Amino acid sequence: MRLGKVIGKVWAVQKVKELQNVRFQIVQPIQSNGEKQGRPVVCADPNQISGSGDRVVYVTSTDATQAIETGFAPVNACIVELVDSVD
Amino acid sequence: MIFAKVVGTVVANQKDEKLEGSKLLLCQETDAEGNDYEDDSYHVAVDAVKAGVGDFVLISYGSSARMTSSTRDSPIDAVIMAIIDDVELTED
Repeated sequence: MRLGKVIGKVWAVQKVKELQNVRFQIVQPIQSNGEKQGRPVVCADPNQISGSGDRVVYVTSTDATQAIETGFAPVNACIVELVDSVD
Repeated sequence: MIFAKVVGTVVANQKDEKLEGSKLLLCQETDAEGNDYEDDSYHVAVDAVKAGVGDFVLISYGSSARMTSSTRDSPIDAVIMAIIDDVELTED
């Protein structure tokens, strides 16, 4: 699980049926102090928990497919938690 | 998922039987605004959303690429799973 900040969103009407009602956010990976780390990634947000500027926790790879309710969707990264604070 | 532009089609008559009927597209990886990266990264991806040359798309790669009804159990590692209408960046 990685820490990131939502910096944008992607609109796509035409998508595979496994991802209907799933929206996509652009997330900048960050360190615990808020510093940027690497290129932004596109994350699915199946539970619609994040908005612009929010800090989130996201999972990648096979774990990301598990974060989708059906467990069967072509995603590489998924937002799973909204971060309140990092100590 | 990565951003990409569809830049061409790949035609192959002899292919794995699980790929029969699937369309292969040549895609160039871009950033969120559609700008090419300097390293010119190209991917051949299976099309699951009726995309065409010139479209701005999202590609899923790796084992997740097999997680669509049309690519289930196929020997592929990249699939076009969405055609992008718009991208809104609120900060860099």
